[in-house]
Amino acid sequence: MRDGELDDILKKTAQAQPDPDPALLDRIAASIQPNMRPVRPLPSARILNLGIYCASLAIAIAIAAKLGFFGVRAMSGPQILILVVLPILLGWGAAEWIAEMIPGSRPHPAPGTFLAVACAALAALFAILFRDRVTEPFVSQGVACLKAGLLTAIPAGLAGWTILRRGFAVNPTNAGLAAGSMAGLAGILMLELHCPNFQTWHVLVWHTAVVPVSAAIAALTARLAGRRTSGRA
Amino acid sequence: MHPDGELEALMVRYQRGDFAAATALIQRLSPQLHRFFAVQFVSRASADDLLQETWLRLHEVRHTYRPGEPVLPWLYAIARHIRVDHYRKSGRTSAREQSLDETPEMPAPRAAPAATLTMEEMLAPLPESQREVIQLLKISGMSLEEVARATSSSVGSVKQKAFRAYEKLRERLGKMGGAS
Repeated sequence: MRDGELDDILKKTAQAQPDPDPALLDRIAASIQPNMRPVRPLPSARILNLGIYCASLAIAIAIAAKLGFFGVRAMSGPQILILVVLPILLGWGAAEWIAEMIPGSRPHPAPGTFLAVACAALAALFAILFRDRVTEPFVSQGVACLKAGLLTAIPAGLAGWTILRRGFAVNPTNAGLAAGSMAGLAGILMLELHCPNFQTWHVLVWHTAVVPVSAAIAALTARLAGRRTSGRA
Repeated sequence: MHPDGELEALMVRYQRGDFAAATALIQRLSPQLHRFFAVQFVSRASADDLLQETWLRLHEVRHTYRPGEPVLPWLYAIARHIRVDHYRKSGRTSAREQSLDETPEMPAPRAAPAATLTMEEMLAPLPESQREVIQLLKISGMSLEEVARATSSSVGSVKQKAFRAYEKLRERLGKMGGAS
């Protein structure tokens, strides 16, 4: 059987399906009629992206400025590359989040894929650019950096959410994952500007960890919020 | 006017508060939305409920449609969300029990000519994701990119699902042809 014949059979079968009751359609129309006020469509994805990008960049820089730009001052030539890659990933992360908040957006990589690619790219860059193999004191300094990164991710995520609050996530967990990844990248950016500890394992483990931890927290929060909303509906 | 352009124009008028445009959209898109739910083995009453719920949600989030973008992917992305919510609420177990109860009415390997099959019977052997892709591509008449947008997947993945679904359908209809 050829594809064309199969198409015809499918179309004929679909046409034979009974249509919904016209009374039901009238009821649906009547139910929305009382609330027929004009609405303002969401701005274009570019404007949203620019808003989220600028807000998260400004938050990362402002927090780093408050804590001190010790990291960027101590960086040698090639290490500056991390400050080129991070804003690019931040822009991509913002685009991912926007796509998750607007139903029927253009095909884009899944937020999980973005998270994996961003973490792998950062880990590879850190391993190449930071060659200090000393690991003392690994945990205490690491936890402090993870905490500072996450505390930067929170306002970055909230700022983005404020911009995207009128969106609608058809998959709240994915939207949370994308939001948390983007916010986590803002956290790492702040750490790179501020943290002068260039020990390979420190940046590789604790700085990179800000992204998956932030993504996991946001995904879990969005999932729980999504369940609560759908339970109420 | 091109049908898609017409839908876009109606959507824009709907966003501006035009009730006639909203009614036109409901009349025009409800039959295919109803089929979308009916094909997923829900009862007619459930399909009615899902249709109603979908329109209420579409109305709530109508501002998320951006003029100039295709309407159908936006609409089906929200309809899928409603369907997933419905599955979650009703629970997978009860859905399975229901489909088992209905089995005597739609036996999968029935030796009947293809023309006498209902849509549910025809798509029954396909996994849910393939059934959905076939329905959106072939029955709702969406393009590969539109289906990818509606299902939050890549065009390659949609193509692959459609290819696999067609292989299964061809095999099944071939067997029926041989039997009848």
